[in-house]
Amino acid sequence: MSEQPAARGGAGPGGVPGAGAELAARAALLLRQHTDAGWVAVRESVVSRALHAFRPSAPVRGRHAAGDYFVASDVLVAALRRAVDLVPRVAATRITCTTGEDDELDDVVVELVAAYGVRLLEVAGQVHAVAREVLGDLLGPLAPAAERIRTHVHLGDVSDDPRVVG
Amino acid sequence: MGPETAGTHRYRRSPLAGRGARGGGAAGPPPPPDEVLARRAALGDKDAFSQLVERHGPSLHRYAYGLLGDAQDAEDCLQEVVLSAWRAFPSFRGDASVRTWLYVLARHQVHKQRAARAVAPAGGGRPPLDVDEVAEQVRDTRPGPGEENVEAALLAALEAALRLLPERQRTAWVLREVEGLSYAEIGVVLSTTTSTVRGLLERARATVASTLEEWR
Repeated sequence: MSEQPAARGGAGPGGVPGAGAELAARAALLLRQHTDAGWVAVRESVVSRALHAFRPSAPVRGRHAAGDYFVASDVLVAALRRAVDLVPRVAATRITCTTGEDDELDDVVVELVAAYGVRLLEVAGQVHAVAREVLGDLLGPLAPAAERIRTHVHLGDVSDDPRVVG
Repeated sequence: MGPETAGTHRYRRSPLAGRGARGGGAAGPPPPPDEVLARRAALGDKDAFSQLVERHGPSLHRYAYGLLGDAQDAEDCLQEVVLSAWRAFPSFRGDASVRTWLYVLARHQVHKQRAARAVAPAGGGRPPLDVDEVAEQVRDTRPGPGEENVEAALLAALEAALRLLPERQRTAWVLREVEGLSYAEIGVVLSTTTSTVRGLLERARATVASTLEEWR
Protein backbone atom coordinates (compact mmCIF):
# COMPACT_ATOMS: atom_id res chain seq x y z
CA MET A 1 0.00 0.00 0.00
CA SER A 2 1.33 3.40 -0.91
CA GLU A 3 1.53 6.26 1.54
CA GLN A 4 -1.65 7.89 0.33
CA PRO A 5 -4.61 9.12 2.32
CA ALA A 6 -7.43 6.63 2.49
CA ALA A 7 -9.71 8.11 -0.12
CA ARG A 8 -6.94 8.07 -2.69
CA GLY A 9 -5.49 4.80 -1.55
CA GLY A 10 -8.85 3.12 -1.78
CA ALA A 11 -10.74 1.88 1.21
CA GLY A 12 -13.62 0.44 -0.71
CA PRO A 13 -13.88 -2.77 -2.71
CA GLY A 14 -11.60 -3.08 -5.69
CA GLY A 15 -9.57 -0.08 -4.69
CA VAL A 16 -12.52 2.24 -5.31
CA PRO A 17 -13.03 4.58 -2.40
CA GLY A 18 -16.18 3.84 -0.48
CA ALA A 19 -18.54 6.58 0.59
CA GLY A 20 -17.32 6.26 4.17
CA ALA A 21 -13.70 6.62 3.08
CA GLU A 22 -14.57 9.69 1.06
CA LEU A 23 -16.33 11.20 4.03
CA ALA A 24 -13.32 10.40 6.18
CA ALA A 25 -11.02 12.15 3.73
CA ARG A 26 -13.31 15.15 3.64
CA ALA A 27 -13.49 15.28 7.41
CA ALA A 28 -9.70 14.98 7.70
CA LEU A 29 -9.31 17.93 5.34
CA LEU A 30 -11.77 19.96 7.41
CA LEU A 31 -9.93 19.09 10.59
CA ARG A 32 -6.61 20.14 9.02
CA GLN A 33 -8.07 23.50 8.00
CA HIS A 34 -9.87 24.01 11.25
CA THR A 35 -8.47 26.84 13.37
CA ASP A 36 -8.32 25.42 16.81
CA ALA A 37 -9.87 27.97 19.14
CA GLY A 38 -8.31 26.14 22.06
CA TRP A 39 -4.83 26.73 20.70
CA VAL A 40 -5.51 30.40 19.96
CA ALA A 41 -6.60 30.87 23.55
CA VAL A 42 -3.55 29.28 25.14
CA ARG A 43 -0.64 29.90 22.79
CA GLU A 44 0.71 33.06 24.40
CA SER A 45 0.71 31.73 27.92
CA VAL A 46 2.17 28.39 26.83
CA VAL A 47 5.16 30.00 25.13
CA SER A 48 5.67 32.61 27.82
CA ARG A 49 5.70 30.10 30.66
CA ALA A 50 8.16 27.87 28.85
CA LEU A 51 10.56 30.68 28.09
CA HIS A 52 10.56 31.77 31.72
CA ALA A 53 11.32 28.28 32.91
CA PHE A 54 14.73 27.28 34.14
CA ARG A 55 16.82 25.43 31.61
CA PRO A 56 19.19 22.90 33.19
CA SER A 57 22.62 24.44 33.02
CA ALA A 58 26.01 24.10 34.68
CA PRO A 59 27.60 26.96 36.64
CA VAL A 60 30.64 28.79 35.30
CA ARG A 61 32.74 30.83 37.68
CA GLY A 62 33.32 34.51 37.05
CA ARG A 63 35.38 36.99 39.04
CA HIS A 64 34.92 40.57 40.12
CA ALA A 65 36.92 42.80 42.45
CA ALA A 66 34.14 42.30 44.98
CA GLY A 67 34.33 38.51 44.73
CA ASP A 68 33.52 35.47 42.62
CA TYR A 69 30.11 34.77 41.12
CA PHE A 70 28.54 32.16 38.84
CA VAL A 71 27.02 32.43 35.41
CA ALA A 72 24.88 29.65 33.97
CA SER A 73 26.52 28.02 30.97
CA ASP A 74 23.20 28.47 29.21
CA VAL A 75 23.58 32.22 29.60
CA LEU A 76 27.12 32.06 28.26
CA VAL A 77 26.02 30.07 25.23
CA ALA A 78 23.15 32.45 24.47
CA ALA A 79 25.45 35.46 24.76
CA LEU A 80 28.01 33.87 22.47
CA ARG A 81 25.31 33.01 19.94
CA ARG A 82 24.03 36.61 19.95
CA ALA A 83 27.57 37.90 19.42
CA VAL A 84 28.25 35.50 16.57
CA ASP A 85 24.94 36.56 14.98
CA LEU A 86 26.46 40.01 14.53
CA VAL A 87 29.24 38.63 12.35
CA PRO A 88 27.95 38.85 8.77
CA ARG A 89 27.31 35.73 6.69
CA VAL A 90 27.94 33.24 9.43
CA ALA A 91 25.84 31.53 12.11
CA ALA A 92 26.65 29.33 15.09
CA THR A 93 25.47 25.74 14.81
CA ARG A 94 26.83 24.50 18.11
CA ILE A 95 28.57 26.05 21.06
CA THR A 96 30.24 23.87 23.66
CA CYS A 97 31.60 25.11 26.96
CA THR A 98 33.78 22.94 29.18
CA THR A 99 34.69 23.78 32.75
CA GLY A 100 37.54 22.47 34.85
CA GLU A 101 38.51 22.87 38.46
CA ASP A 102 36.38 25.20 40.54
CA ASP A 103 33.94 25.58 37.66
CA GLU A 104 36.34 27.79 35.75
CA LEU A 105 35.85 27.88 32.00
CA ASP A 106 38.53 25.84 30.28
CA ASP A 107 37.39 25.55 26.74
CA VAL A 108 34.90 26.95 24.29
CA VAL A 109 34.12 25.49 20.90
CA VAL A 110 32.07 27.48 18.44
CA GLU A 111 30.97 25.59 15.35
CA LEU A 112 29.73 27.61 12.42
CA VAL A 113 27.91 27.47 9.16
CA ALA A 114 29.26 30.06 6.74
CA ALA A 115 27.89 31.52 3.54
CA TYR A 116 29.36 30.13 0.37
CA GLY A 117 32.32 32.21 -0.80
CA VAL A 118 33.05 33.85 2.54
CA ARG A 119 36.71 34.20 3.57
CA LEU A 120 36.87 31.51 6.20
CA LEU A 121 40.01 32.60 8.01
CA GLU A 122 38.70 36.14 8.24
CA VAL A 123 35.38 34.93 9.62
CA ALA A 124 37.13 32.63 12.06
CA GLY A 125 39.18 35.54 13.34
CA GLN A 126 36.09 37.72 13.78
CA VAL A 127 34.22 35.01 15.66
CA HIS A 128 37.23 34.32 17.84
CA ALA A 129 37.46 38.01 18.70
CA VAL A 130 33.78 38.45 19.58
CA ALA A 131 33.83 35.25 21.63
CA ARG A 132 36.75 36.48 23.72
CA GLU A 133 35.05 39.84 24.20
CA VAL A 134 31.80 38.26 25.38
CA LEU A 135 33.58 35.91 27.75
CA GLY A 136 35.60 38.80 29.15
CA ASP A 137 32.43 40.78 29.79
CA LEU A 138 30.67 37.91 31.49
CA LEU A 139 33.48 36.24 33.43
CA GLY A 140 35.91 39.06 34.14
CA PRO A 141 39.47 37.98 34.88
CA LEU A 142 38.43 34.32 34.76
CA ALA A 143 37.57 34.60 31.10
CA PRO A 144 39.70 32.28 29.02
CA ALA A 145 43.00 33.87 28.03
CA ALA A 146 44.39 33.07 24.61
CA GLU A 147 47.48 31.30 25.95
CA ARG A 148 45.54 29.29 28.46
CA ILE A 149 42.24 28.53 26.82
CA ARG A 150 41.65 27.05 23.42
CA THR A 151 38.91 28.68 21.47
CA HIS A 152 38.21 26.70 18.34
CA VAL A 153 36.34 27.85 15.33
CA HIS A 154 35.25 24.84 13.37
CA LEU A 155 33.68 25.60 10.02
CA GLY A 156 31.40 22.66 9.59
CA ASP A 157 29.27 23.72 6.66
CA VAL A 158 28.71 26.30 3.97
CA SER A 159 25.44 27.56 2.58
CA ASP A 160 24.06 30.14 0.18
CA ASP A 161 20.72 30.27 1.97
CA PRO A 162 20.36 33.62 3.80
CA ARG A 163 17.88 32.06 6.21
CA VAL A 164 20.65 29.78 7.42
CA VAL A 165 23.58 32.17 7.64
CA GLY A 166 21.80 35.53 7.70
CA MET B 1 26.62 16.96 33.91
CA GLY B 2 30.14 16.45 35.13
CA PRO B 3 32.60 19.22 35.75
CA GLU B 4 34.58 18.40 32.62
CA THR B 5 31.68 18.87 30.27
CA ALA B 6 29.68 21.53 32.00
CA GLY B 7 27.59 23.68 29.78
CA THR B 8 27.72 21.49 26.74
CA HIS B 9 25.13 22.44 24.18
CA ARG B 10 25.10 20.05 21.31
CA TYR B 11 23.18 20.10 18.09
CA ARG B 12 24.00 17.76 15.28
CA ARG B 13 24.66 19.57 12.06
CA SER B 14 21.51 19.41 10.02
CA PRO B 15 20.61 19.74 6.36
CA LEU B 16 20.52 23.32 5.23
CA ALA B 17 16.96 23.08 3.98
CA GLY B 18 14.69 21.13 6.27
CA ARG B 19 11.45 19.42 5.55
CA GLY B 20 9.82 21.46 8.25
CA ALA B 21 10.06 24.58 6.14
CA ARG B 22 6.79 26.23 5.41
CA GLY B 23 6.19 28.41 2.45
CA GLY B 24 5.94 32.07 3.26
CA GLY B 25 3.29 34.48 2.14
CA ALA B 26 3.32 36.35 -1.09
CA ALA B 27 5.75 38.94 0.28
CA GLY B 28 9.13 38.45 1.88
CA PRO B 29 11.48 35.51 2.01
CA PRO B 30 10.23 32.16 3.22
CA PRO B 31 10.64 31.59 6.95
CA PRO B 32 13.61 29.59 8.22
CA PRO B 33 13.21 25.82 8.16
CA ASP B 34 12.58 23.94 11.38
CA GLU B 35 16.15 22.74 11.61
CA VAL B 36 17.52 26.27 11.63
CA LEU B 37 15.03 27.41 14.24
CA ALA B 38 15.79 24.36 16.36
CA ARG B 39 19.50 25.02 16.15
CA ARG B 40 18.96 28.60 17.24
CA ALA B 41 16.56 27.58 20.01
CA ALA B 42 19.18 25.15 21.29
CA LEU B 43 21.55 28.10 21.57
CA GLY B 44 19.04 30.08 23.61
CA ASP B 45 17.23 32.03 20.89
CA LYS B 46 13.75 32.59 22.31
CA ASP B 47 12.35 34.15 19.17
CA ALA B 48 13.33 31.10 17.15
CA PHE B 49 11.69 28.85 19.73
CA SER B 50 8.51 30.95 19.64
CA GLN B 51 8.39 30.63 15.86
CA LEU B 52 8.67 26.86 16.14
CA VAL B 53 5.86 26.72 18.66
CA GLU B 54 3.68 28.98 16.53
CA ARG B 55 4.34 26.71 13.58
CA HIS B 56 3.56 23.41 15.26
CA GLY B 57 1.37 24.43 18.19
CA PRO B 58 -1.96 24.20 16.36
CA SER B 59 -1.42 20.64 15.18
CA LEU B 60 0.01 19.55 18.52
CA HIS B 61 -2.98 21.03 20.30
CA ARG B 62 -5.35 19.34 17.87
CA TYR B 63 -3.61 16.03 18.50
CA ALA B 64 -3.63 16.43 22.28
CA TYR B 65 -7.23 17.58 22.39
CA GLY B 66 -8.29 14.71 20.19
CA LEU B 67 -6.75 12.17 22.51
CA LEU B 68 -7.59 13.80 25.82
CA GLY B 69 -11.03 15.16 24.90
CA ASP B 70 -10.84 18.02 27.36
CA ALA B 71 -9.75 21.61 26.75
CA GLN B 72 -8.02 22.03 30.10
CA ASP B 73 -6.20 18.73 29.74
CA ALA B 74 -5.09 19.70 26.24
CA GLU B 75 -3.76 23.02 27.52
CA ASP B 76 -1.90 21.30 30.35
CA CYS B 77 -0.47 18.85 27.85
CA LEU B 78 0.71 21.59 25.49
CA GLN B 79 2.25 23.47 28.37
CA GLU B 80 4.31 20.45 29.35
CA VAL B 81 5.27 19.65 25.77
CA VAL B 82 6.45 23.17 25.04
CA LEU B 83 8.31 23.34 28.34
CA SER B 84 9.97 19.99 27.68
CA ALA B 85 10.94 21.09 24.20
CA TRP B 86 12.52 24.30 25.46
CA ARG B 87 14.53 22.44 28.07
CA ALA B 88 15.52 19.61 25.77
CA PHE B 89 16.46 21.46 22.59
CA PRO B 90 20.14 21.71 23.61
CA SER B 91 20.29 17.92 23.58
CA PHE B 92 18.11 17.41 20.50
CA ARG B 93 20.30 15.42 18.11
CA GLY B 94 18.25 15.91 14.99
CA ASP B 95 17.93 12.19 14.26
CA ALA B 96 14.22 12.78 13.60
CA SER B 97 12.61 15.92 12.26
CA VAL B 98 11.65 18.58 14.77
CA ARG B 99 7.98 17.99 14.05
CA THR B 100 8.27 14.26 14.69
CA TRP B 101 10.18 14.88 17.90
CA LEU B 102 7.47 17.28 19.12
CA TYR B 103 4.83 14.61 18.48
CA VAL B 104 6.92 12.13 20.45
CA LEU B 105 6.91 14.55 23.38
CA ALA B 106 3.18 15.17 22.97
CA ARG B 107 2.32 11.47 22.86
CA HIS B 108 4.34 10.76 25.98
CA GLN B 109 2.64 13.60 27.79
CA VAL B 110 -0.79 12.41 26.68
CA HIS B 111 0.03 8.96 28.02
CA LYS B 112 1.16 10.44 31.29
CA GLN B 113 -2.02 12.44 31.74
CA ARG B 114 -4.27 9.60 30.67
CA ALA B 115 -2.57 7.28 33.11
CA ALA B 116 -2.85 9.84 35.88
CA ARG B 117 -6.54 10.32 35.29
CA ALA B 118 -7.26 6.73 34.35
CA VAL B 119 -9.02 7.78 31.16
CA ALA B 120 -8.12 4.58 29.38
CA PRO B 121 -7.03 1.12 30.43
CA ALA B 122 -3.28 0.58 30.65
CA GLY B 123 -1.47 -0.83 27.65
CA GLY B 124 -3.19 1.26 25.03
CA GLY B 125 -6.21 -1.01 24.87
CA ARG B 126 -9.47 -0.09 23.25
CA PRO B 127 -11.35 2.61 25.15
CA PRO B 128 -14.41 1.37 27.00
CA LEU B 129 -16.93 2.55 24.42
CA ASP B 130 -19.99 0.85 23.14
CA VAL B 131 -19.89 0.63 19.35
CA ASP B 132 -23.65 0.86 18.97
CA GLU B 133 -23.71 3.87 21.23
CA VAL B 134 -21.08 5.63 19.12
CA ALA B 135 -22.90 4.70 15.92
CA GLU B 136 -25.98 6.28 17.42
CA GLN B 137 -23.99 9.40 18.27
CA VAL B 138 -22.69 9.55 14.72
CA ARG B 139 -26.22 9.27 13.33
CA ASP B 140 -27.30 12.03 15.70
CA THR B 141 -24.76 14.41 14.23
CA ARG B 142 -26.32 14.19 10.77
CA PRO B 143 -27.53 17.61 9.67
CA GLY B 144 -31.26 17.95 9.16
CA PRO B 145 -32.89 19.04 5.92
CA GLY B 146 -31.80 22.56 5.05
CA GLU B 147 -29.29 22.64 7.86
CA GLU B 148 -26.27 24.69 6.82
CA ASN B 149 -23.54 23.60 9.15
CA VAL B 150 -22.77 20.33 7.44
CA GLU B 151 -19.05 20.70 8.01
CA ALA B 152 -19.41 21.04 11.77
CA ALA B 153 -21.69 18.01 11.77
CA LEU B 154 -19.16 16.00 9.78
CA LEU B 155 -16.37 16.98 12.18
CA ALA B 156 -18.51 15.92 15.11
CA ALA B 157 -19.17 12.61 13.43
CA LEU B 158 -15.45 12.13 12.81
CA GLU B 159 -14.70 12.89 16.44
CA ALA B 160 -17.18 10.24 17.49
CA ALA B 161 -15.72 7.75 15.01
CA LEU B 162 -12.18 8.36 16.25
CA ARG B 163 -13.25 7.60 19.80
CA LEU B 164 -13.74 4.02 18.69
CA LEU B 165 -10.08 3.63 17.84
CA PRO B 166 -7.41 2.39 20.23
CA GLU B 167 -4.81 5.04 20.91
CA ARG B 168 -2.16 3.73 18.51
CA GLN B 169 -4.61 3.44 15.63
CA ARG B 170 -5.97 6.84 16.40
CA THR B 171 -2.53 8.41 16.56
CA ALA B 172 -1.56 6.74 13.28
CA TRP B 173 -4.76 7.90 11.58
CA VAL B 174 -4.52 11.50 12.79
CA LEU B 175 -0.82 11.85 12.06
CA ARG B 176 -1.24 10.42 8.58
CA GLU B 177 -4.61 11.70 7.39
CA VAL B 178 -4.70 15.07 9.12
CA GLU B 179 -1.10 16.05 9.80
CA GLY B 180 0.48 14.38 6.78
CA LEU B 181 3.36 12.58 8.46
CA SER B 182 5.06 9.80 6.54
CA TYR B 183 4.81 6.19 7.67
CA ALA B 184 8.41 6.37 8.83
CA GLU B 185 7.73 9.49 10.91
CA ILE B 186 4.65 7.89 12.46
CA GLY B 187 6.79 4.85 13.20
CA VAL B 188 9.17 7.07 15.16
CA VAL B 189 6.31 8.59 17.12
CA LEU B 190 4.83 5.18 17.91
CA SER B 191 8.23 3.49 18.34
CA THR B 192 7.35 0.87 15.78
CA THR B 193 8.05 -0.22 12.22
CA THR B 194 6.53 1.18 9.06
CA SER B 195 4.83 -2.12 8.36
CA THR B 196 3.13 -1.98 11.74
CA VAL B 197 2.09 1.60 10.99
CA ARG B 198 0.61 0.37 7.73
CA GLY B 199 -1.42 -2.23 9.58
CA LEU B 200 -2.61 0.25 12.19
CA LEU B 201 -3.69 2.63 9.45
CA GLU B 202 -5.56 -0.04 7.53
CA ARG B 203 -7.59 -0.97 10.57
CA ALA B 204 -8.14 2.65 11.56
CA ARG B 205 -9.26 3.63 8.07
CA ALA B 206 -11.68 0.73 7.89
CA THR B 207 -13.22 1.60 11.26
CA VAL B 208 -13.52 5.31 10.51
CA ALA B 209 -14.96 4.70 7.05
CA SER B 210 -17.53 2.18 8.24
CA THR B 211 -18.53 4.40 11.15
CA LEU B 212 -18.96 7.42 8.92
CA GLU B 213 -21.19 5.36 6.64
CA GLU B 214 -23.72 5.69 9.45
CA TRP B 215 -23.54 9.44 9.07
CA ARG B 216 -24.55 9.55 5.41
